[in-house]
Amino acid sequence: MDLVTLPAERWNQSLQIELRSTGGGELSTNESKLHEQPHWRALNCRGKLHFLLVLLTALTTEYSHAATSFRTEIVPLITRAGCSMGACHGNATGKGGFKISLRTEDPANDHAVLTEEWLGRRINRVDPDQSLLLLKATAQIPHEGGQRFRTDSDEYRMLRAWITEGASDDATHAPTLTQLEVTPLEVVVESPQSFTQISATAVWSSGRRQDVTRRVVYESSNVQVSVSDEGRVTGKGFAETVVLVRFLQLQSPVRIAFIPQREGFIYAAPRKENYIDDHIDQKLQRLKILPSAVCSDTEYVRRIFLDLTGTLPSAEEARRFVSDSSPTKRTQWVERLLVNPAYADHWALKWADTLRVEERSLDVHGVTSFQRWIRERVASNQPVDQFVREILSAAGSTYSRPESNFYRAVRDPFSRGEAVARIFLGTRLQCARCHNHPFERWTQADYFDWASVFARVRYTVLENQRKDDLDQNEFIGEQIVWHSDEGSVTNAKTRLPATPRFLGATPSEPVEDPLNALAQWMTAPTNTLFARAQANRIWAQLLGKGLVDPVDDFRATNPGSNPSLLDALARDLVDSGFDQRHLIRRIVASRTYQLSSVPNPTNADDDSNFSHALVRRLSAEQILDAVSQVVGVTPEFHDQAQGTRAASIRGGSPNPRYGETPADRFLAVFGKPERQLACDCERSAETTMSQAFQLVSGPLVQDLISRPKNRLSDWLSNSASPERVLEALYWSALSRPPNPQELDHFTPKLTHSPNARAELEDLTWAVMNAKEFLFRK
Amino acid sequence: MNTSWNHPWGLSRIAHGLSRRAALKVGGMGLFGFTIPKLLRAAEQVSRSTPSSRAKVRSIIFLFQWGGPSSIDMFDRKPDAPEGIRGPLRSISSSLPGVPVCEGLERTAKILKECTLIRTLHHTMSNHNSAGYYALTGHAPPSDDQRLRDSMDLYPAYGSVIDRLAPANAELPTFVAYPHVISDGSITPGQHASFLGKAHDPLLFRQDPNLPDFGLPELSLPAGVSMERLQNRREMQKRIDQQTHLMDHAAGARGLDAYYDRALSMLQSPKLRKAFDIGSEPLAVREAYGRTTYGQSCLLARRLAEVGSKFISVYFADTIGGISTESGGWDTHGFNNTRMFPIVQKFHLPITDQTLPTLITDLKDRGMLDTTLVVWVGEFGRTPKINGNASRDHWPHCYTALLAGAGVKRGFVYGASDKQGAYPEENAVRPDDLAATLYHLMGIPPQTEIRDLADRPLPISHGNVIEGILA
Repeated sequence: MDLVTLPAERWNQSLQIELRSTGGGELSTNESKLHEQPHWRALNCRGKLHFLLVLLTALTTEYSHAATSFRTEIVPLITRAGCSMGACHGNATGKGGFKISLRTEDPANDHAVLTEEWLGRRINRVDPDQSLLLLKATAQIPHEGGQRFRTDSDEYRMLRAWITEGASDDATHAPTLTQLEVTPLEVVVESPQSFTQISATAVWSSGRRQDVTRRVVYESSNVQVSVSDEGRVTGKGFAETVVLVRFLQLQSPVRIAFIPQREGFIYAAPRKENYIDDHIDQKLQRLKILPSAVCSDTEYVRRIFLDLTGTLPSAEEARRFVSDSSPTKRTQWVERLLVNPAYADHWALKWADTLRVEERSLDVHGVTSFQRWIRERVASNQPVDQFVREILSAAGSTYSRPESNFYRAVRDPFSRGEAVARIFLGTRLQCARCHNHPFERWTQADYFDWASVFARVRYTVLENQRKDDLDQNEFIGEQIVWHSDEGSVTNAKTRLPATPRFLGATPSEPVEDPLNALAQWMTAPTNTLFARAQANRIWAQLLGKGLVDPVDDFRATNPGSNPSLLDALARDLVDSGFDQRHLIRRIVASRTYQLSSVPNPTNADDDSNFSHALVRRLSAEQILDAVSQVVGVTPEFHDQAQGTRAASIRGGSPNPRYGETPADRFLAVFGKPERQLACDCERSAETTMSQAFQLVSGPLVQDLISRPKNRLSDWLSNSASPERVLEALYWSALSRPPNPQELDHFTPKLTHSPNARAELEDLTWAVMNAKEFLFRK
Repeated sequence: MNTSWNHPWGLSRIAHGLSRRAALKVGGMGLFGFTIPKLLRAAEQVSRSTPSSRAKVRSIIFLFQWGGPSSIDMFDRKPDAPEGIRGPLRSISSSLPGVPVCEGLERTAKILKECTLIRTLHHTMSNHNSAGYYALTGHAPPSDDQRLRDSMDLYPAYGSVIDRLAPANAELPTFVAYPHVISDGSITPGQHASFLGKAHDPLLFRQDPNLPDFGLPELSLPAGVSMERLQNRREMQKRIDQQTHLMDHAAGARGLDAYYDRALSMLQSPKLRKAFDIGSEPLAVREAYGRTTYGQSCLLARRLAEVGSKFISVYFADTIGGISTESGGWDTHGFNNTRMFPIVQKFHLPITDQTLPTLITDLKDRGMLDTTLVVWVGEFGRTPKINGNASRDHWPHCYTALLAGAGVKRGFVYGASDKQGAYPEENAVRPDDLAATLYHLMGIPPQTEIRDLADRPLPISHGNVIEGILA
């Protein structure tokens, strides 16, 4: 039928366009070079005849049913062409005076925009080819977004047909999408095969099933893996990705792994310890990866001390552990460490980072009391849900009710909403403030309704002695945090007051105090996102990487490396009554936790499936406390009591303008955050040139090593043999004895040197700069 | 005739044939009397001689205007456009006939005859982090994303590429970046070496050169410790590291180890220590640059160029800013009931007008403008049309870069925008082309390949050298 309306000259024109661009289409230079992907609109037919056949087939199959449907055909078409992307006309402010809803999620609005705005200039029913919509999308007239499709494409024909037929909205009678069936949902592609095909089927409310493989939108999370417009996914080497398949309001993630060829692969792994290992084994088996061996005792003792308490084992503890012959010594020592005071310091520090325990907004009283409050709760193993409830419903004086400092630090409903989502739900909402995010489910309505939950927090500032009058974020003095009976935020899109609504929840009855209701909703066992986010944080702290990574980025397009394991851990956490120690015990008992970091030929490229331990630099506090433990001297920090360990410092890195000691500087260089953001991202685990300078020539390390009365002087004054001194140094710093080569090499140096003290200082420096000292393996 | 020993390819082949890991494994053991590091160094020196002989520029001072300054207000004036486009600032004439600048840039106007303006930079990235990455690497990001995630798949910063292909003398950092790490919600990619490895990261510091006690204490030997002792320490450290093979499988550990060697050679360099001794600069000079973090950073950039650092990145601000008259970058949307023009007139323009002409004049007076290239550019410009908040939003489709010094024409305008300053009308230039030009001027052919983590050969730039601006 459409064939009739297509004049002959247009056929020729289409053919010419096609022939001119055979084999590539008009690539934007950026895309072509970065991705080396075939252009997504390119047709590869080379001959006229072939082309005609393709066109005829397309026309007869695609348009054999009655009229073109706005709801089921045009809306997906516009989405797929990218018109309604966040960066284009889906932007909160639109583009070039043309604004439709993000991902075309509001078809009624978008239909009106297309057909009525600008006196209907976008649609020309009389001469459809002159419709602004078509001229722009095909770049026949200048279009900032470039050419979205060509005049000889299916898209063009379909849009043109819809315009010709009257450009109506079939809202009343169009079927709705009830299901999006995507296959496969998970696949492992083994070399030499280099691609896999995704197919998508729409199930409509009419019962009709339709192949929509060529109508959905595909997005790959890994740039090493490319996905074509037709759903063909190509990769090589070892690469894992998630391809998100979107169609109308539904989306479905597909996990794909590309693995090298491993003929005759047989899975073998060290003994399983608990359910964690079952989940890991299943995944590794699918990927044909073998886990590493279990780590040695000397590695384990160092690891478990650092992970549970943030400190090194003393020489004595390390020796005692290694010589302990009990077969259950690893679990026994875990119990001891879980009640060690340093355990509370170490795990409280993590919370203090994300809860923004910093002096500029909380002042010294607030920082001190909030830090102590957190630490006490970690030490008494307060259930995590209760801990979070107390924070979320906090009110009162920031001096006498320490937990109210959380709201003191985040001063407006938006920051509060963003921080709470990030810390407790592992969800980033920032994008949704200004626009609905293309890769996330959260819309602006979700964002503002959620922020509205936090709109009744009020402050009574009893005094403010701020030092910097221009710094609106600085507060010195007591404040009362209280909850008003009213207050909401305005939805920037609708300009209407937003009704408080929990993230992803349906609107509920108005409640007297939304924050108390929030505390209950957040920690209810049914809120699986909360349990998963908390279990994931604990896992990440122990294993060095979250099952969802980063830990504050839970979303459909970032489903994590082992969802069934994360679910199981979350269930375990809930069933234990949110008992953090219980979950830690479970994780460190697993074989997976105990694996060595030394890779084998199958797992060297894997850094997300926990087939071997991940080598990582110690945190700023860990390194400084370890150095200070080895030499037996604690450095001075700005405005902290003498003898304070780095892990117990209240507050973030001090502003250098208000004074910092060499030790504060050292911590800042190694990534201790200032805590200006409620975000784990602020703490850096990078290694940098400045860190090497700190270690090689920085004032702090040299000062600690060379203080006349430190551990080195003890070692020397005991007139112990050089071998004994070496052993003491090695066990204190590296939790292992020196090996024969090291003894051979270093003993003469200590024996024959005219300046034994200087030689020992140099050796101590060398030991504390060994990578096995600075990195946890 | 070339023997195999001094043939340029002879040594570099040997060096290239050894993987980093293999080199580390055999490192320290003798091999025909050569240790592997020596061999690598020899190969580097051979490859180094080639770029430097071609180079027209010895050092680049890259003044990055984070947040996106408005070209139409500053260097691409449209006095005949309607008020909603030309903006409220008056035009003043400059030392370059027919090229007015805005009021507030009186001193800058005087040195425009030393500069090349490229008025047609353009791309399509409208988010800071994506556009910032583009500006700092010359490579289009994979997506236009407000939270463009930094990853090892992304391209390295210019300075890291130069450090890889045409490094400075080992005692000096090739690439120095300060006094901020820039971010917009998340840290902006493009500020480090990415897949080239941490050894090519910049010497990065966040200390404020405007503070009275500015200095990098790390750049001097600790009290009572001689260089021999430091070397003794390093030897012992290496011996212990050999026992665990940790560096065989831990990239982070390998990266940190590479820093030790560089730290030691820089410590031996009196030049570098001297460069950082900004307090030895005459008071009048310090005042002339402006007693601001940015002003003193630019002065420090001159001192670093003087001793031979090759790429010096000075970031105008750590945040996109735009709402304060005391700190922050150029992102003046008029958010939170602020207004663009009072802010830039009170903060951004005065700082710029004090510091930029001082730097260029100072370089010229010292004869350094023949070897040093100053690049002043943001990640994008701002909308020609003034928005509802009497301010301007992001505009990557046409914006201006200012270049001055070695290798480029003096008193020259390249390219032209349309009547509204909205799109390039002639000689459009992409950030890729600017990157190609910078590499070319440093003596590195832009098509030179580097290898990413998947060992794919990638050209350092996909752009074309902007022949029209070359001196």
